[in-house]
Amino acid sequence: MDPFESVKAMAELWGRGARSFAEAQANMMGALAAGPAPAADADAAQKAQAAYARAWADAQAVATSFTGSLAAKDGHDPVAAEVLAKVFDPRGWLSATSEVDAALSRMAEGPQFADLFQVERKFAALTAAWTALRRRNLEHNTLMLEAWTRATGAFSQAVNARAEAGKPLESARDLMALWIETANDVLIETQRSDAFLASQRDSLTAATELRLAQGDLAEFYSRMFGYPTRSELDDLHKTVTELRRELRALKRPRRAGRKEASA
Amino acid sequence: MSSNRPTITPADAVAEASALGRRIAEGARLFGEIRDADVQIATTPKDLVWTQDKVSLYRYRPLAESKGLPPVLIVYGLIGRYTMADLQEDRSLVRNLLNLGLDLWVVDWGNPGRAERFVTIDDYVDGYLAECVNVIQERTEREKVNLLGICEGGVFTTCYAALNPDQVNAMVLTITPIDFHADQVDNRPGHGFINIWARSLRPEDIDRLIETQGSLPGALMGSVFSMMTPMRTLTKYNLDLLDALADKKKFLNFLRMEKWIADRPDHPGEAAKQWLKDLYQENKLVESRFELSGRPVKLSQITCPVLNVFAKDDHIIPPATSRALQGKIGTEDYTELGLPGGHVGVFVGGKAQALLGSGIADWLSARG
Repeated sequence: MDPFESVKAMAELWGRGARSFAEAQANMMGALAAGPAPAADADAAQKAQAAYARAWADAQAVATSFTGSLAAKDGHDPVAAEVLAKVFDPRGWLSATSEVDAALSRMAEGPQFADLFQVERKFAALTAAWTALRRRNLEHNTLMLEAWTRATGAFSQAVNARAEAGKPLESARDLMALWIETANDVLIETQRSDAFLASQRDSLTAATELRLAQGDLAEFYSRMFGYPTRSELDDLHKTVTELRRELRALKRPRRAGRKEASA
Repeated sequence: MSSNRPTITPADAVAEASALGRRIAEGARLFGEIRDADVQIATTPKDLVWTQDKVSLYRYRPLAESKGLPPVLIVYGLIGRYTMADLQEDRSLVRNLLNLGLDLWVVDWGNPGRAERFVTIDDYVDGYLAECVNVIQERTEREKVNLLGICEGGVFTTCYAALNPDQVNAMVLTITPIDFHADQVDNRPGHGFINIWARSLRPEDIDRLIETQGSLPGALMGSVFSMMTPMRTLTKYNLDLLDALADKKKFLNFLRMEKWIADRPDHPGEAAKQWLKDLYQENKLVESRFELSGRPVKLSQITCPVLNVFAKDDHIIPPATSRALQGKIGTEDYTELGLPGGHVGVFVGGKAQALLGSGIADWLSARG
């Protein structure tokens, strides 16, 4: 593997790590509420999208400027530049291209439900819930993007401080270590903020509401075709759990009696 | 801007890239050599003794001459699996305790699914755990057992010891939360995020989540854990993995840990509501307001000796949340053991896990 390919591989690995982190967060919501994507939008979702776009532009501007400032003035090195560009690429921070772009596409390309009659209201509720979730996700991503942008600023200051102290960074690994430490502090601080916690809670609630709306629709069709519904199964499981509990309670005195007899 | 530029030259970058290339190539070869058998976890031999629903009780085969002490039952929680206590041969609390002559048992809660939505902590403590203790009493002809609770499992054993003081000889708690609001004592950044996160939820949010999912999904908790160490999550599968690839032993350790992390069962729904609402939000345990099967769990009714082990750098269960037990139980025989490392490091870290095994065995030996 030549050096350029090696660094490229490292950069790809880095991107993959970023995706896995973003997916971990997205999974919190996405895994809880995957499903059909009605074609709908709302003012709130549009505002969230606009705010996200602004944050995105800011992040890109900061990243571009910062990467440029780190690049060697003389003998510009494309290998190092590529790594730095990847590390400070906002797309890697949020993996926004895969998650948000796909979400927006689904919003645009979802099925039309207007002609359905009996379940019209259920589908409307589903649409509203889905739109609300997308809005919350965009708001949350905006919050995170702002945090990553702050992290980049803090990193820039840290690099400055090292240079001014006469301790410039001497390897790409040192650079990476400083970035990791700095970004970690900023992200942890963000995660403890009221704004983050509220945003995450709202996203979780929106995901749950969407899942409930999906469940409502699934129950309708299950009943229509004579399949057991989720609520019927839940009732059954509840009964079984209660019966097991009673059985254990009945067995307990018998066992105690045996113990006393053998004592 | 030139003054703040790192002094990395193109030649340095190329040299680092070359080294990286070599490591990736060696790593690829190592990947190809590894087989499933190389990364098996929880391999210490044990026998299935009893099973009910999805719960199983195992007894480990002895590895040393018995010390003749009361049997020890390991109780893990419902978040993660008991296999953490027996990750690999040279990092195994189980093996360490067996090598010190203890009679060791472990309860495996299995993989709860949607069918377990209505199973409560009452069921786990008053039902399954009580059944396990009874089976052990019968098999060993002992009146009392030693309990070794881990994390949420420590909460279960705490409840059991409070409700059944006549059946517990001694109790060892490891990385166990007692005061769920004590994360605010030290308030260290990066520590106690689950406490903060759980308190940020509305009770009705938790109810709705359980209503829709039927459980607290393991994937959700996995995400919350990932968020606690954001950059570690980002670098885990690239930089950290590349470091691990430099050493086969280190790489196998990495994979075994990954295997344990990936095995994260869903937490039964009603039990999760109690966990998040009664304990994390309302903090009922430390205030002796937590109820199981209609009986209040009063910490003052714990009369057996207690060894409380905490990790000094535990970001999941901050030390203060564990140490809150001091002074609240009905015995003077209370010992604390603070070990270096974090939540998992206590069990798998080179130094801590050795101290943990001998610390527990010595303490129990003095109370046999």
